[in-house]
Amino acid sequence: MSQVTAAAEAPDSAVSAPPGLVRDALKGPQALVGLALLATFVAIALLQPVLLSQDSTTKVGAVFAPPSREHVLGLDGGGADMVALLIDGTRVSLLVGFAAALVSAVIGGLVGLTSGFFGGKTDITLMRLTDYFIVIPDIPLMIVAAALFGRSLTNIIVIIGIIYWTTTARLLRAQVKSVRERVYVRRARGLGAGNLWLIRKHVVPQIAPLLIANTVLLVAYAIFAETFITFLGLGDPSVISWGRLIENAFTDDAILNDAWWTIVPPGVCVAIVVLAATMVGSSIEDALNPRLAVGHLSVRRFGLRVLPQMPPRGERSATTPPPTGAAAPGKGRR
Amino acid sequence: MRGADYVLKRIFFAIVTVFVAITLNFVLFRALPGDAIQSLRCRQCTEQFKEALRHDLGLDKSKWEQYKLYLQDLAHGDLGDSLRTQKAVRSELWEPIRNTLAMVALGTVFSIILGVVVGVVSAWRRGTFADRAGLWTGLTFYSMPPQWLGLMIVLFVASSIGLPTSGISDPSLGILTEPSGWTLFVDRLKHMILPAATLGLVLFGEYAIIVRSAMLETLGEDYVLTARAKGLSNWATVWRHGLRNALLPVITLIALSLGLIIGGSITIEYVFSYPGIGLQVVEAIDQRDFPILQGAFLLLTFAVILFNLLADLLYFKLDPRITT
Amino acid sequence: MSEPLLSVEELHVWFGLKGDAELHAVKGVSFALEPGERFGLVGESGCGKTTTILGLMGLLPPNASVAGRVVLEGENILAEGETTVQPHRWHDVAMVFQGAMNAFNPVKTVGKQIVEPMELHEVAEGNQAWRRAGELLETVGISASRASRYPHEFSGGMRQRAAIAMALACTPKVLLADEPTTALDVMVQAQILELLVGLSDDFGLALILVTHDLPVVAQVCGRAAVMYAGEIMEEGPTDVLYHDPRHPYTRLLFAATPDIEGEGDVASIPGVPPRLDVPIPGCPFAPRCDRTFEPCPDVKPRYLAVGAGHRAACHLNDPAIAKAS
Repeated sequence: MSQVTAAAEAPDSAVSAPPGLVRDALKGPQALVGLALLATFVAIALLQPVLLSQDSTTKVGAVFAPPSREHVLGLDGGGADMVALLIDGTRVSLLVGFAAALVSAVIGGLVGLTSGFFGGKTDITLMRLTDYFIVIPDIPLMIVAAALFGRSLTNIIVIIGIIYWTTTARLLRAQVKSVRERVYVRRARGLGAGNLWLIRKHVVPQIAPLLIANTVLLVAYAIFAETFITFLGLGDPSVISWGRLIENAFTDDAILNDAWWTIVPPGVCVAIVVLAATMVGSSIEDALNPRLAVGHLSVRRFGLRVLPQMPPRGERSATTPPPTGAAAPGKGRR
Repeated sequence: MRGADYVLKRIFFAIVTVFVAITLNFVLFRALPGDAIQSLRCRQCTEQFKEALRHDLGLDKSKWEQYKLYLQDLAHGDLGDSLRTQKAVRSELWEPIRNTLAMVALGTVFSIILGVVVGVVSAWRRGTFADRAGLWTGLTFYSMPPQWLGLMIVLFVASSIGLPTSGISDPSLGILTEPSGWTLFVDRLKHMILPAATLGLVLFGEYAIIVRSAMLETLGEDYVLTARAKGLSNWATVWRHGLRNALLPVITLIALSLGLIIGGSITIEYVFSYPGIGLQVVEAIDQRDFPILQGAFLLLTFAVILFNLLADLLYFKLDPRITT
Repeated sequence: MSEPLLSVEELHVWFGLKGDAELHAVKGVSFALEPGERFGLVGESGCGKTTTILGLMGLLPPNASVAGRVVLEGENILAEGETTVQPHRWHDVAMVFQGAMNAFNPVKTVGKQIVEPMELHEVAEGNQAWRRAGELLETVGISASRASRYPHEFSGGMRQRAAIAMALACTPKVLLADEPTTALDVMVQAQILELLVGLSDDFGLALILVTHDLPVVAQVCGRAAVMYAGEIMEEGPTDVLYHDPRHPYTRLLFAATPDIEGEGDVASIPGVPPRLDVPIPGCPFAPRCDRTFEPCPDVKPRYLAVGAGHRAACHLNDPAIAKAS
């Protein structure tokens, strides 16, 4: 196997996942912030019909009108309110993100599960296949596929989902393989447990955290990928997404008009959501794979202390207090 | 030679992957429901013309026939002709590829240098503000769509720095006097800086994270303790023992991020009107010039496969621990 | 009496923990090493032996602080921290670490790593250095041609020997060997120990051997110190420690080692070592001691002479305490 594909595999798939791992991981500050941010955007997306009284693309004022009290983020190249457009875009961007991630997780999950669990010829064939596909560059493939088949939201979701299944598949396969070899699984099999039961009861709980972490990260990728597709004019023309807003700003020559308010906000939204999803996903991943934070020898210097003059041990009586560290920090400290 | 069989195995794998890519390319482009020619828009595209074109391109033959023809053409280096300009795809893409290569190389160098510096500092000052700040900055840039970052740079930065934001050369250069080779070179470089910088900023975060992990792992190793015990200074220890080992994963990572590098450069070239292969792709999409699109995608895929092979072999050479 | 080669005086090491807490890992350790002498530092895992030798060469992580004097040939090398210690590293005091498997950088040849300290301390350079590296390898029983090989091409025992060769690169006066034979099989262990003894005899190399393996100490070292919970409990000639221990811990420790000839029971010491992040007012061994009595938990025992070159920190040896009780 090549070094590259080896690197694409799970770093340490032999770590077992204790129950409640995901829940505990999500309690950490990093995950909480990420979840809060994601929840905010999801709320906005869900509340969209309530928040918007009319179609977001309706012209409500002058083209490229700067931010004002009435329209906090100004108007775009078509005179539509940026805030309304952003709210609308939230819905589609998040939809694409979650849906594509789901597609990817399902395909990758099934392939990884089958491959890892059944091993043998199935495994080898499937992995050979993924090995070849890993090398083909993902985003260009997506762009080409979108150019050929795109222009509708469903197609885009499917395209993004299909492109990303390989990483999930490899990750899961490694994990499933190690779980399959665990003692308790062998024992259960010895007791006559069927494959499906084994999968359900033993394999799935063990791989669930990894799958969840990976899916969350896939959401980030998918939202990111959507902006590529729409920017090149391949998006669904009937919907507004953040990627679309960036494209509009570009094609409407927002730069010439110095209309930063049409460019900055949609990108900020994408960056925040991607960052938030990354925070959540990597928190779970970290919990699974506690990197032994050893670094016992960071190349900084040790500190030297100057102690008050102490009589040597032999001469000390019971009343001499032992030396403590409470002395002035000495020389040699960096 | 050590591992001659490993090298052969990897080369063979690369060749097979090339074949898979070619087939995929064919399948994608010919699997269209409907016809590429049908949606063609151009001035002389009458029905007759389209029929003739179809015949010319062999689109009226069976899929299998077409596949064989395709392979034959490729064997001769023929990537077809652009539907728009009627010129060979190969010649249309020749100059753009070189432009893109230069820009992407520059951008990747930026990102590696930045990533390594941030990664090393983060590992060195682990747990401190410098560590976290470096990583989060990297992650934040990594979360920004490259085209948006490019737009932001054009909007806020370009004018104050005085760098050009489009094209690859200053059209006014050759007008009055014959510019020297050096002037031309500098001019080209100036036009490359912003797009390359955009690419570099998007990518460095990932490299920083990986360099940091690798450094931390390395710094915890006994041979680093031994190096210090020998009397090496902190700096010398990091430089001689830490860095080399920490850089190995970067090679792998570049190979893995090629998809993003290419995708990113496509959108970045669009923003900066930089005449590279990315811009060709965008125009081809817009004008439904499928031969160009197909040719560009094929060439890009070949480049990625080649790079993966080189990365594999380089890693193999640099790390004597790897045995086949 | 002549000046000892290396004299460690009241060495303390603290590790900073989260918040303001501290771990007092080494508490006032003192011992002296004569030129060419082989000295053992024994104790259970975690008693502070490794920390002690790392500390005396200033090789501790940044959360550590050190106090005390380390006098090498008359000079207090810890006086100004890094600046005074660094020139002596390897050149005067070299180290062979636990698990020397990893002491070598995997991506550089062994030869290059042996040459490295030579060039650093300006002992030799270029071809001369490489030749010397070859000679050193021959000294430890490895063919000189192997210098151009990588560490993973050596077996465990060979790597350890190569690490010793590397340690000798600048002809140091003291070799600190931390568990040099752990994780090696018995035959190889014997070879390594023989090698160390030979080097010490032939080149006048002083050796501090840190180990938890008592038979090794008995075989190699003339004198030894027994450490527990960061303090030295007893110090003296090895055979005296074996046959006339004056500290219950020493006695129990040696008793816990199965005697290949004897029929005695293998005893183990019940209990666990104390925590080092809280100060211990009395004797640290008191909770596990079989001879503990009234003053032990509250009063720190004095470190007294109990024979020629033999000292122990136990109230049982203290006439003053005996008088009081």
